[in-house]
Amino acid sequence: MKIKNISNWSILLVGVLLCFVPFVTNETGLLIMMTNIFIFAIFAMSYDLLLGFTGIVSFGHAMFFGLGAYSTAIFMKRVEPTMEWFFISVLVGIVLSLIVSIIVGVLTLRLKSHFYAMLTLAVASLFLVVAEKWRHLTVGNDGFTFRVPDVLKDRPTFYIICLVLMIGIFFLLKRFINSPLGRVLMAIRENENRVESLGFVPLYYKVTATVVAGVTASLAGSLFTVVLRYINTSVFTMDITLNALLMTIIGGVGTLIGPMIGAGLIEFAQEWITELADVHPIFERWIIFFGILYILAVIFFPTGIVGTVNKWIAKAKSKRIEKLTPKDEKMAG
Amino acid sequence: MEQIINLLINGISTGMLIFLLAAGLTLIFGLMDVLNFAHGGFFAWGAYCGVWFYSVTGSFMLSIVFAMAVGLILGAFTEKVIIKPVYGNHIMQILITLGLMLVLTEMLKVFWGPNQLSSTAPEYLSGSWQIGNVIIIKYRAFIIFVGLLVFGIVQFILKKTRIGLIVRAGVMNKEMVQALGINIKRVFMYVFMVGSAMAALGGAMLGPYTGSIYAEMGLEFAILAFIVVVIGGMGSFTGSLFAALLVGLNQSFLAYYFSELSLAANMLLMLVVLIFRPQGLFSVRG
Repeated sequence: MKIKNISNWSILLVGVLLCFVPFVTNETGLLIMMTNIFIFAIFAMSYDLLLGFTGIVSFGHAMFFGLGAYSTAIFMKRVEPTMEWFFISVLVGIVLSLIVSIIVGVLTLRLKSHFYAMLTLAVASLFLVVAEKWRHLTVGNDGFTFRVPDVLKDRPTFYIICLVLMIGIFFLLKRFINSPLGRVLMAIRENENRVESLGFVPLYYKVTATVVAGVTASLAGSLFTVVLRYINTSVFTMDITLNALLMTIIGGVGTLIGPMIGAGLIEFAQEWITELADVHPIFERWIIFFGILYILAVIFFPTGIVGTVNKWIAKAKSKRIEKLTPKDEKMAG
Repeated sequence: MEQIINLLINGISTGMLIFLLAAGLTLIFGLMDVLNFAHGGFFAWGAYCGVWFYSVTGSFMLSIVFAMAVGLILGAFTEKVIIKPVYGNHIMQILITLGLMLVLTEMLKVFWGPNQLSSTAPEYLSGSWQIGNVIIIKYRAFIIFVGLLVFGIVQFILKKTRIGLIVRAGVMNKEMVQALGINIKRVFMYVFMVGSAMAALGGAMLGPYTGSIYAEMGLEFAILAFIVVVIGGMGSFTGSLFAALLVGLNQSFLAYYFSELSLAANMLLMLVVLIFRPQGLFSVRG
């Protein structure tokens, strides 16, 4: 209980410290990058709700991200770039994600985990094709630029908004996984048959998890497109899902802090490797490095950074207890 | 009428290519419960190796053999290095094979560049026959022939030989087979290698069929193969042929009449199967 409180307070403290960044520096590049980190942290946390907490693998998480991004972009372009319409567009993205996640979830989650992974991959590629072909609405792969509401134009303001949203969603999701419903999700991850024999209906809980994850991912997509003020079909591609996967796996599955750390690391690493492209053209293919890193992480560090650190702490603690106990025994003896 | 026959041949040959990919996928899944997301990568590697070797040696048949050899080696490597550490853990398997898929796709771009490669059929397979008003393109007939040949050979091995008996028994109940003193893991590795070689064969034959190849086609065809596996039933070999033909025909007819809808129609087909027969049309385990 005590440790939990410490981690809550430290997150809040880091959040407050990060609030001062826009007052210290005026570098727009850094601010945009930090904003992107916050947005991808939201996205990765939503992904971890599936992968880490419920044990569902999705290879199409980009579709929710893309749905949110496209609904915001299209509303800003077609209707009017005001705050009211921004909220409506976010809401539309959320509702669309809700519908899609329910349909995909109900169809495949009663089957083995492979089916959900396959079907999400297929549905996401379907969305990509639709976005490419429906040129009337999306302008295909060329994409389009749009204007954003004046409030969101100011980079420091938007930085703060994203930071607050990230922290808020962190606590909301934390509340969610600590709720009775969240506990059932974790039980499903550990042993689905046992949960079922206890009288729960796993399908209902799993679909709920995918809905919450999809809705959160859609919000991240809406924010992402506001940063760029431009959209094209790349929001539906595998790269976006891959980002979430890497951030979650490297940061630490089954924790909420892990994906946030992972988001920071991966964004910085991407920037760094892209800069190295001037040195040698192989660095343009950054997916190779991330892919190999990812495979190694799955084999050797399946719990990620946070998980590994937690293990060390637990080990150190048990050693300390070991040191203490023989003495106590002697005293008792 | 001629148009319909042409589309029919077109669809069957596309179906055969998808079948080569899906058959390995479904056998591997049926035998060892491993869903290999990197399977499309073997397909793309087969295509690139085939085109490259053909341009070096000038012999199409040799290039197909070379592509299959690359498939065998890739399969052995994957089974030994990537899948062995994560046996029995479904989530890890799914995650790690997807990682391999991405690495394989990017490696293709490192070796051959990110642009499309053009590919041509050899002299004796290009051109067409004309029967009445119907034009049959030779290369498509060749694909259908090879597909049926592979289906026949694998079916013969599965149904008539001892190793086939072990594989079929393993799909039904692998613990029992193991209890009878058979090293099912080694059998699995052979099946994995053969499945990879079949995927590479499919890739090598795709090049001259579409005229150009690119690295991302691995994932695109893998998605079609997944659809096939879901429709046909996981672990069913005959089911994968049937479903692949269905998907191929669907693809070719819809691509002709409403080109935008072909993937959507296949997805719809899969959704219908998932609603009414979630275990697939030809399920082994019922």
